[in-house]
Amino acid sequence: MIKAYNNTWVTNLYIRETAAGWVSKNLLTTEQEAQIQKAFPEHFYRPGIFVTIGLFFFASIACSFFAGFLSLFFLDGFSDGAFGIFSIICAIAFLAALEFVIRDRKLFHSGIDNALLYAAVGAVISSFFLIIEGERPWLYCFLSLFILVPALLRYADLLLAAVTYFTAAALIALILTESALGKALLPFAFMIFSFLSYMLVSRSTSIYYHKCQQILEVLSLATLYLAGNYFVVREGNALLNDLPASTQVAFAYLFYFFTAAIPIAYICLGLKKYNRVLFVTGLLALGASIVTYRTYFLQLTISQELTLAGTFLIIVAVLAIRYLKNPKKGISDEPEAKRKFAYLEAIVAAEVLGQAPQENGIQFGEGNFGGGGAGEAY
Amino acid sequence: MTTQSILKELINKKIISGHQAEAIRSFETNKAFSVHWELRSILFLGILLFSSGIGVLIYENIDTIGHQAIIAAIAILTIVCFWYVFRNSLPYQHSELKNTNKFASYVLLLGCTTFLALEGYLQFQYEIFGIKYGLAVLIPTILFFFSAYRFDHTGVLSMAITGLASWVGLTIAPLSVLTKNDFTDQKLVWSAIILGTLLALTGWLSDSKEIKKHFSFTYLFLGGNLALIASLIGSFRGEPQIVFQFAGLLFSVFYILTARRSQSLVFLLMGVVTAYIIVSYMLAKLLGEALAMTLATLYFTFSSIGVILFLLKYKKFLGIKR
Repeated sequence: MIKAYNNTWVTNLYIRETAAGWVSKNLLTTEQEAQIQKAFPEHFYRPGIFVTIGLFFFASIACSFFAGFLSLFFLDGFSDGAFGIFSIICAIAFLAALEFVIRDRKLFHSGIDNALLYAAVGAVISSFFLIIEGERPWLYCFLSLFILVPALLRYADLLLAAVTYFTAAALIALILTESALGKALLPFAFMIFSFLSYMLVSRSTSIYYHKCQQILEVLSLATLYLAGNYFVVREGNALLNDLPASTQVAFAYLFYFFTAAIPIAYICLGLKKYNRVLFVTGLLALGASIVTYRTYFLQLTISQELTLAGTFLIIVAVLAIRYLKNPKKGISDEPEAKRKFAYLEAIVAAEVLGQAPQENGIQFGEGNFGGGGAGEAY
Repeated sequence: MTTQSILKELINKKIISGHQAEAIRSFETNKAFSVHWELRSILFLGILLFSSGIGVLIYENIDTIGHQAIIAAIAILTIVCFWYVFRNSLPYQHSELKNTNKFASYVLLLGCTTFLALEGYLQFQYEIFGIKYGLAVLIPTILFFFSAYRFDHTGVLSMAITGLASWVGLTIAPLSVLTKNDFTDQKLVWSAIILGTLLALTGWLSDSKEIKKHFSFTYLFLGGNLALIASLIGSFRGEPQIVFQFAGLLFSVFYILTARRSQSLVFLLMGVVTAYIIVSYMLAKLLGEALAMTLATLYFTFSSIGVILFLLKYKKFLGIKR
């Protein structure tokens, strides 16, 4: 069993959420939703965001108190070796507690399990640092990956996904910066790494890793863009080579091109493939690119820039909204159905259509749906 | 797992018919990609950048010819904004207005921010209100309150409340209530409590009398935040302490009741946290310093267990089903 959380429940949760989306668009009846809830059960304990934060906070406190209590027994032999053993004992205890709360209390990323997971992983990794001393930094990154990747595959945790990605990136950076040639190739290495990781991650169709997949996609796209961004390359180059002021870099035109082309490529691809991760990352990257060009080519006061940028954004937004008055090329300006109005829509629909739910919901036949349904939602 | 496989599962479990599955599938493949929120965010960001840029731009160009032109341009822009909003507005009603014009609310926001920049500048340069600074703050506040109710705009309402607070001499923005206000001045603590009470009452009334019911959250949140923090500070430092402590506990009760009524976790947290701090402080005072220190660890251990239990049960308390 590689997956810690009940995979069937995770899948069922996804089916329920998708079905709830269809219900809010009047594609399914509420009776059918009730049937779905019965046919696809899940019994995870999932509190709201505030409670999750609260539980995480208090569980973290409990973890550190536990570690502090345990450390009392190790106080006399306070060598690094003893501390390493202490870390491992802590990690085993945290892992046992983690497995218990997941299996018995049915927690699902609800604060307590997150805190326990981070505490366990942190304890194991810090034991590495204590037992193996004075090695090159990249070795620690390399060893950490052996803990992080299995933990990520088992628990599918968001923060763990991000940490794993950054550890892998740091491993590459630390190895390459050891040689002069490596330093020069660093941007390209990062771009290739990010691209490969995006390709790898975006292929996953697993629901269990759906959220991790999204965050890894965002991070890959972001590092791909940043590795090609002129500002990052120029200032990074100065920082790595201990230059007093940043100077023009080699292949500057290539990086000018990347700075402009990558965001536009993201936005176009996002719109073409209906991929919101690509689209929004592209918009943010475009903003960063404008700031980059401004830093080196524009000499204006900050208020002039703000006014100009504001005017530009307002004009772009207004033109786009006017252009998309009717959906064009599969892109629309209609708001996605919000949860808030779900009740209202349902009530109105029930009032207007006035249908008595039949078995299997055949009343949503072609004619009825094609006219009313599509008109309602979009 | 794709739409296709979910639909297949649903058909297998005999929840939907093949007919309906086909309808859902064609809906999913034909539905357009919505860029609604992205465009709205860009528009909002644009207004934010523009108004903060223009506000400084005026002062930068003082004593040049372009200066008068900028002032005139801003004045014209403000007038055009309000004119546009008036032309495209719906008649006033007590309930929430659903304006079909896509730009009206953003144009109103732009008009309000440019008005603020213009008015501030005119006062700075020509002192049109002389030394009556209060008047200079009150005029935009009145305009914003009017606009918020007339055109139904929650954002402008919070701008109006901010203006009202600064007229009294307070900062009300949620994150800077503590940092920007000088609460060592006892008079300011009192005005914060009074203003907070008035705002909270307005929020309560607008909810119960159904006059712009959706404004109630803004009133309650901003007012409550101010009143609770001010009464907390008064409980520690004010004279006489017991009055502030009593007021703070009253506020907490009010907010806990409000939370139950509107099923809001934010109000519940505001009320509970304040009450917890005040009660703890009062207990410590009552027991005396030496005894309080010894009992502190026990007290905090058990009270945080209490907090966890409470957090696990909050849905029942708020009456949220599910």
